[in-house]
Amino acid sequence: MNTLQVWVVRTLLKNTTIILFLLLFVGFGLLAPNFLSLRNLEIIISNASYIGIIAVGMTFVLLTGGIDLSVGSVMYVSAVVVGLLIENYDFSIAAALMVGFLAGLAFGLFNAVVITLLGIPPFIATLVTMIAGRGVGLLLTRSAAVDFPDELTMLSAVRVFGIQLNIFIFALVVLAATVFLMLTASGRRLYAVGNDPEAARKAGINATALIAMTYVISGGCAALAGFVSISQLGRVNAGFGMGDEFDAIAAAVLGGASLFGGVGTAFPGTVLGTIMIQMVQAGLVFIRVDLYIQPIVMGGIIFFAVFLDSFRRVQLKKLERRNIMRLSDS
Amino acid sequence: METQETNQVSGSYRTGGNRLSHAFGRMFLPRRDTISIGSLAKNALLSEYFVLYLSIAYMIVLWPIIPWMFGAQNVSDILSNMWPLLIIAIGQTFVLITAGIDLSQTSVMALTSVVGAMLMVGHVDPLLFSKSPVWGILLTEEGGLLSGYSLSFIFAIVAMLAIGALVGLFNGIAVAVFRMPAFIVTLVSMMFFSAIAVYLPKSENIQGLPEAYTSISSGSLLGIPYPLLLAVAVGVAAHILLSRTLYGRRLYAIGINPTASAISGIPTKRIVVLAYVISALCATLGAVLYSSRLEMGRPTLGDMQFIDIVGANVIAGVSLAGGKGKITWTLFGVFFFVLLANSLNLLNLPFYMIDIVKGAVILAAALLDVARNRAAIQSR
Amino acid sequence: MTNTLFSFSGICKAFFGVQVLDGIDLELHSGRVLGLIGENGAGKSTLMNVMGGVLRPERGTMRMEGRLYEPKGPADASASGIGFIHQELNLFTNLTIAENIFIEDFPRLGWLPFIHHRRMADRARELLADIGLAASPWTPVERLSPGERQLVEIAKVLASDARIILFDEPTTSLTAKETAVLFDVIRRLKARGVAIVYISHILSDVVALSDDIAVLRDGALVATGRVEDFPIPRMISSMVGRDVKSIFPPPPQSVREAAILEVRGLSQPGVARNIDLAVHSGEIVGMFGLMGAGRTELVRMIYGLDPYAEGGVTIAGKPLPGGDPAASIVGGLAFVTENRREEGLLMSMPIAENIGLVALPGYARPYSGIIDQKRLYDAATGIATDLRIKAASYLRQSAKSLSGGNQQKVVIGKWLMARPKVLIVDEPTRGIDVGAKFEVYTILGNLAEAGSGILFISSELEELMGVAHRIVVMNRGEIVGSFQRSEFDRERIMAAAFRQSTEETAA
Repeated sequence: MNTLQVWVVRTLLKNTTIILFLLLFVGFGLLAPNFLSLRNLEIIISNASYIGIIAVGMTFVLLTGGIDLSVGSVMYVSAVVVGLLIENYDFSIAAALMVGFLAGLAFGLFNAVVITLLGIPPFIATLVTMIAGRGVGLLLTRSAAVDFPDELTMLSAVRVFGIQLNIFIFALVVLAATVFLMLTASGRRLYAVGNDPEAARKAGINATALIAMTYVISGGCAALAGFVSISQLGRVNAGFGMGDEFDAIAAAVLGGASLFGGVGTAFPGTVLGTIMIQMVQAGLVFIRVDLYIQPIVMGGIIFFAVFLDSFRRVQLKKLERRNIMRLSDS
Repeated sequence: METQETNQVSGSYRTGGNRLSHAFGRMFLPRRDTISIGSLAKNALLSEYFVLYLSIAYMIVLWPIIPWMFGAQNVSDILSNMWPLLIIAIGQTFVLITAGIDLSQTSVMALTSVVGAMLMVGHVDPLLFSKSPVWGILLTEEGGLLSGYSLSFIFAIVAMLAIGALVGLFNGIAVAVFRMPAFIVTLVSMMFFSAIAVYLPKSENIQGLPEAYTSISSGSLLGIPYPLLLAVAVGVAAHILLSRTLYGRRLYAIGINPTASAISGIPTKRIVVLAYVISALCATLGAVLYSSRLEMGRPTLGDMQFIDIVGANVIAGVSLAGGKGKITWTLFGVFFFVLLANSLNLLNLPFYMIDIVKGAVILAAALLDVARNRAAIQSR
Repeated sequence: MTNTLFSFSGICKAFFGVQVLDGIDLELHSGRVLGLIGENGAGKSTLMNVMGGVLRPERGTMRMEGRLYEPKGPADASASGIGFIHQELNLFTNLTIAENIFIEDFPRLGWLPFIHHRRMADRARELLADIGLAASPWTPVERLSPGERQLVEIAKVLASDARIILFDEPTTSLTAKETAVLFDVIRRLKARGVAIVYISHILSDVVALSDDIAVLRDGALVATGRVEDFPIPRMISSMVGRDVKSIFPPPPQSVREAAILEVRGLSQPGVARNIDLAVHSGEIVGMFGLMGAGRTELVRMIYGLDPYAEGGVTIAGKPLPGGDPAASIVGGLAFVTENRREEGLLMSMPIAENIGLVALPGYARPYSGIIDQKRLYDAATGIATDLRIKAASYLRQSAKSLSGGNQQKVVIGKWLMARPKVLIVDEPTRGIDVGAKFEVYTILGNLAEAGSGILFISSELEELMGVAHRIVVMNRGEIVGSFQRSEFDRERIMAAAFRQSTEETAA
């Protein structure tokens, strides 16, 4: 291969997320012209916002090579806490939201302690929180649905600077995450920890604290996502948030985050991944595909993205393998 | 002496310093030189039979509280819940030993139960199924493709196993050949094949399976129920495969160090692919038992069962990091898990309390594993 | 005499009752290089860990510029101006050069938590110029060669204003050119008044760089002095504790006519070109070359781990299919890899299981695949006994509990059990002590005597000159020279290995 070809292949492989995104975008646009309307895009992003918020928190966890399966349950418990406080204890909405958010952080802290101090693998620790967390939520509600007052559901119609509130919150979360990850010392050290935890400890980085922090962040994001979701639904039933952990992981991975740690971004990566999932779902509706086929297509696309990612890793390794002979030799 | 040592080598590496005898009769004996309550407790805790001891102790504690737990009806309930879960968990053990994970087992259960039912079902209500994409092809008003043949259930089971094997093959190839992370691969196949299982019958349960099929879960041979026979057959075969054969040795080797295994001439891809196929086949056999008991093909079969499958393996001490696990451990883990769930049910705990307890038990098991590994390192 | 910058006095440390450091008294002076040598396990790394705050001594004191120095952790060491360059690199490949340099102490934007990117880049640029690395501070480390990464490590140490720098085997992954650059940097640091500790098994490097020599043996300092007083034979004898006249057993008189391994016209673009190579029955062929000459890559292709574009390999006249290690093993080829931890051993498995791994199919019954355990363990135990692997139980003790030399013997043992016709060994004595080295040479010699062919890759020319019948030299993916034992000549072999690299620098 000549240098130009190498460059082209490398560039394509390094930008699979955005290329896939554009392909899908243009593809649906051609199949259904009004798919590309501004209004429709707003709906897509609005629908993507709550999974997106979880996925940003998940990105932090994935960066350390961990995983958080508990976010769906944490979302449920936080929402339940808010609802019960308002309904039974006359809390103001703001105070209830605050306590609910703290509940999310507390679950994250529990994960963090179990993983970093007790040494339990993240998969098992957060699986336990996923099961037991939902159990706690059901215990609080006696498995009944919780309704929320209109003041809360009206929030979903609020616009900030002309942007829907949920999109605005999503954007704020993404902005904060990106600033933290890209511009602060702790953010860059998080990447270091994900790349090589042992070397990070040797370099005097408090890897344990950083890893613990990511689970707390993930718990907080899950709670926040729960609030965004209840403002849209107005009601929380026993299955609220169930399975969302997998969507969030899929979104982050689709956005280029690696399950092995050290690779991934909140923006553009995870944002694109989340919107892509929502775009496919909306696009399939636009081109009138059987609703039952949607999850099948979704699965296919995520599989394809992960396949490309693995293929890319192998290919990049080959391209970056050191040439022993000078290129002119061979 | 020889068998003792070979047993030692074939899998019980988790307690490096623990030299407890492996002969059943000597299970409770501590090391000769240290006989005290403390060391007895410690040895029991470090023993690979700990989960079994725990189950026995748990039963002794429960005896006075809920004596009806040991009534014939309930024992038969416990066991009929246990056999399919055991078979599925054994499949998962194979994949866990390779340091992988198989989240797609539940979707295999759903898909195979649906397809199998569609093939052999007698009459179906066209109102429910005329929207199915296979209406008129696989499924008509007169039932499934094989409906009416006396041996339809055998062909249906063969077809189910074939589908299971294909899903396993797909997972295995993606993981071993294309080097994709097992978690994501099987997560995607879980979503994908569950979606197909729902799509084919458009969410409807398929009822009216032939009696020959439903009698699999209720029938018996010489007084031994078929599910028990099947579970024992799968368990013994899996045990021999893991502890006595070339394949088993190589599976552990790959779980511990895949690079060294490949260099040592082990066909790592083939062996890992086969582990995923075994996992999916076990899930299919589980689906056969469940769907014959439910007397229907169910598109949501196995939903949420993943926690039981992995939970039982974690309790058993099978490591998610690979290279560690035994069929006997899985047996104990499943037994304890089913016992726990059943007793909590009998104690009239609401289902969410049961989930909380299950979670706590899995966490405790994981903690115990961490403590054991530390003990093993210290005693080196 | 220059002033004393750092001193150890009476440092003692024991692990589980074994004394690993026993009353060490040692001084470091600014502007001087101390060469610290000793066999593996002599206590070098323990001493460095004590200095670096990783371990705490049981007795004794350390002083930095006369003041008591009691580090509580690695952070205290770097705050006191002590920097480490480890054998394995501690860089984060997903971060940039600048980020790696400042990972421990990012320049901040005032009191804000943000990184001051411009200041960081400016300072990194200065440091890179200082060590002669022509790269932008924003280059991701994953794009750098091992030598360049090593230089980044040094920049990192310099950024912390280190006044003492310890180098622990820094050249193991460097090419000759990169090593030369590194030595140049070390000399400049020294001229600037930095005190340097240089730890290496490559004694000629130690001689070339050091002003003073300190020899550790079994946790005690057995000899110190100026480099002029330490010719290499004295270094070796103080390390080993006895005079070593010949540390190599002579090669057996066993070379036969028949070529047992033949490689013809093997080529792979960018890796190897037109390789012709033959190993005869009973012959030990040494393969020498500089780091990065392509030796490991070549044998990986021969063995079937990596693909090749052209050519072929035959064992005893029968062609190997290529790309299939299992077929190579059946054909009679064995490959003891360079890296026993990652590529050789199942660390948590017992010794016997490790030794049985390759030959396993031969102990399985046809069809059922059931392993004949008794036969397997008897054979594995036999091999372990023959190789004198020191362990309490071959069936119970895991590989990770063994010393490096015994681990290497386990790896060799697992290949011997498959009765290979040809054994490829890649750096089999790296990181094992002198006694174990001698045993490895003896094992290989006995194998050759019994009729196997051996291809012995090493970066230590002395070793190959000691044990090989013939030495072939690789350079940039080509075989550039072949020397019979009678023609062995250090300078000529070295010249062949360096040829193109020197041409390149001249050009």
